[in-house]
Parts: sequence; C-alpha cells; structure tokens
Amino acid sequence: MMTSRIRLTKVNLHYPSVAYAHRSLMGLLGQVIGRGPRTPVLKDIHALKNISIEIQKGERVALLGHNGAGKSTFLKVLAGLYPISSGQVEVAGSVRCLFDISLGFEPDATGRANILYRGLLLGLTPRFVRAREDEIVAFADLGEFIDYPLSTYSTGMQVRLAFAISTFIGGDVLLLDEVIGAGDASFMIKARARIGELIRQSEILVLATHDLQTVSSFCDRGLVFHHGELAFDGPTAQAIPAYHELNGIPHV
Amino acid sequence: MREYFEGIWAARYFWMHLALSDLRSRWRRSFFGILWSILQPLGTALLLAAVLAKLFATNIRSYAPFIISGMIVWDFVMAVSTGGSLSFVQADAYIKHYRHPLAIYSLRTAVANLAVLMLASLPMFIWALIARPDRFGFSWLGALSIYPMLLLIFWPLITLLAYAGSRFRDLPNVMMLLLQAVWFVSPVYFETGMFRRAGLNALVDYNPVFHLLQLIRAPLLDGRWPSAVDYGFCAGMAILFTLLAWFVGRKVEKRVIFYL
Repeated sequence: MMTSRIRLTKVNLHYPSVAYAHRSLMGLLGQVIGRGPRTPVLKDIHALKNISIEIQKGERVALLGHNGAGKSTFLKVLAGLYPISSGQVEVAGSVRCLFDISLGFEPDATGRANILYRGLLLGLTPRFVRAREDEIVAFADLGEFIDYPLSTYSTGMQVRLAFAISTFIGGDVLLLDEVIGAGDASFMIKARARIGELIRQSEILVLATHDLQTVSSFCDRGLVFHHGELAFDGPTAQAIPAYHELNGIPHV
Repeated sequence: MREYFEGIWAARYFWMHLALSDLRSRWRRSFFGILWSILQPLGTALLLAAVLAKLFATNIRSYAPFIISGMIVWDFVMAVSTGGSLSFVQADAYIKHYRHPLAIYSLRTAVANLAVLMLASLPMFIWALIARPDRFGFSWLGALSIYPMLLLIFWPLITLLAYAGSRFRDLPNVMMLLLQAVWFVSPVYFETGMFRRAGLNALVDYNPVFHLLQLIRAPLLDGRWPSAVDYGFCAGMAILFTLLAWFVGRKVEKRVIFYL
C-alpha cells in the first residue's frame, strides 16, 4: 500500500485576470475597436506565493488565515482542481474532499435516488452505492421523507442528507473546508462524531476553518496563511497566537 | 491521451446518469412526457411540408420525409451547438469539486440530445416507409449509421465550444447566428434540386451538412447506401474536430475551472 504524503515545492498560483475581464465576445470586440465602456485594468491575482511544504502520513493539519488568505485555494491545489503557475505538487494517496456538500442534488428525484447520484459523482459504482444505501439512510434519519422528492425537503433536511452521503466514504487524504456544523443540535453531535471518525480513518487531514475550537481538538499542526504567503508553520498551540497576531486580533 | 479516455470510462456511470437526468427533467414535467419528443418535430415538419410543398410545387408525400430528416438533424445540431457551448458552465458545481475529465460533460450533452434525436426519427422512418415502401431494404441500415457518426462529429465539437463557452458566455448567441447562416446555404429544408437548378452546385457537393444528411436521405428517399464521399466528409469533420479539441484541450482543460 502506498503511503500518503503531500509535498509542495515553491508553488505559485495566479488567478488569470482574463477570467474576470472580457467575459463576452462582444465585450472583447468592443475592446479591440476601442469602443464600449472603459473598464479598469485588472491584474492577475497572486493567490499562493512560493509555498513549500511537506505533510507526512498521520499529520492533522489546520489552515488558518483571514478571508482570501489562500486557504481554500491551497485545498483546491491539493485536490488537483487548480492548475498551479509554477512549482511542483505531489499528492500520494486517494484524496477525498468535502467542500460544498449540498452540490449535485436533483430536486425532482427522491432522497434515495439522490444517494445513488451523489455516489456516482464520487466515482463509485451503482452496485457499491446500493450496498451502502441503508447505512446512509439510517444516518440521515429522515424517516419516510427518504422516499419523497428532494424538493419537499427543508434546508436542514437537505443538509443532513448531503452530509450523510458525502461522509459515508473516506479517503487516505481528507480535505475539509468549513463543513463541520450542519443541521440541528442533535444532528450536529452525530455529524461531529462522523467527521471525527473520518478523520481517524484518514492518513492525512487538512482542514480549513475559522473555528479555533475545532482546530485545537482535531489538529496538531497549523499553517497560517497571510495574503497568499505561508506566514507560520508549527504546532497548533503556537499557530493560533501567530494567526491572532498577524491579523491584529487581541488575545482572549 | 489514453489516460484521459480512461478517466472518461471510469466516470461512465456518472455521465450516463447526467444524460439520463437531462432526459428525465425534459420529459417528466409534461403529461405527454416522452411523446412530446416524437410529436413536436413531426407536427412542425408536417406543417412545413404542407406549406413548402405548395410553394415549391413538389409532391408532399416524398417531400415530407425530406423535411423531417432535415429538421430533426438540424434540431440536434442547434441544440448541441448552442446548449453545448455551456456544457461546462452548466456543470460548474461538479467541475469545482471533482476532477473528472471535462469531456464527460460535453459527452453528456451529446448523448442526451442523441437520445432525443433517435426518438424524433421514429416518425421519419414510419413516414418514409408509408410514402416510399419501394425504397425499403438493407440500405436502411446505412441510415442508422448517422447516430454514431453524429456522436463522433459533435462530441469533440461540443467540447471545443464548451471550452470557448466557459470563457465567452455569449457564445450561444454567436453560434445561433452562424448556424442560421449555414442553414440558409444548406439543403436542410430546401431540396438539393433547387440549389442545382440555380447553379449553386458547390453548396451541395462541398457542403458537409449535405453529406451528413445524405446518411439518412440516401437510404430513406432513394433506397441506396450513403456514398463513400458522404462518409468521407463526415469522417473528415470528426477527425478535424477531434484534433482541434485535443489541441485546444491540452492548453485550456486545466484552466477552465478559473472561468467558471
């Protein structure tokens, strides 16, 4: 079996400005012939600046930083979703990401059907999903609603189902982005337990969150991002004060 | 390249499900459901045939299959070229979370529309059988080759358009305009004879749309197999679009996510 490992060497990532300038052929045409509204010149956004880091099997890493510091971008690079502009990224092991859990639902289909769809999205086979279906249904605990169309669900119920589906399969490398905190109080307890279980099963955890409580209870290593740079890398006990200091937050 | 296709194969359950769910949402909301996909083009074609047959003084019995064949294929072309440009935009939530090859999303558009086309072609076969029973024969098997051929041509084309469409959101409008132009110079509704009589032979002989339509028209209307030239033009398009899609995809596939 392969040992999970993450290694980034001098990674830079730019969001290209063309992604938000001229979004239409008409606009581009206007620009070329020199007509049309003048738009301010937009520059590429340097979202990750020269990041080098190594994460070994068994590590529980928290990403800290202000909004736009680069936490989510970093996670998406690890997930292989964003192409980097320079440097090297190596990720060994099966990656499971939990970013936006209420994605890919079909409102017309029943909860049960949606379990299948979501499983397929994750790259599973229909046979495998059906075998695990009862387990997911039990966890979501929606009663008879599981056979009703999704459009009849309340937001909370949707979140519960989404959570039950997205977390029933883990991975060697688990990437979480602010997903802890779903549903009502009783479900929260279950959800936390489930996340805890996934984390225990995973070989590497990388978690982006603003909830420092979660950070200290799950993670042993903290990376503090500040305007796209890696400002601090060390034990969580020191990372949290470093994060506070960088952002001018008074110590509590 | 090989890895890319392995990824598409690995995700087969997913894109098949997406295509099926497109079809379901298309059919579920109406009483006639699936029937609409058959009746709607049939009704329009009959209406058109009745009017145009009078206008051009041709025989409606043989002209109607001509119109239906042109119409359903053209409907397919329109749907995949305009809707297909937004294949990636429409799938942005998936693309932002899972690293499947992007071509599965254009494949989904192609497959779903192909299924609609297959249904819509049922009345065409029936009408052709009633109007010209003497044309029925083994050559009709040739007519069926249009389905895989359309997939081979339009999957890469939709992929190309979807790359461009994620960058330029008004691409569907541009495509609409372009296709309208192509439609006017192609024998989709207008009989080939009309072009030839006007001395516009080139618009028939070198028109890929004509050759594509010949895949069904030659068997159904004339009772003969599509010619090697017809297949040559179709294969040419398929190869051209595949090469272009591969060339463009190599450069932009990974960057599409920034544009969504």
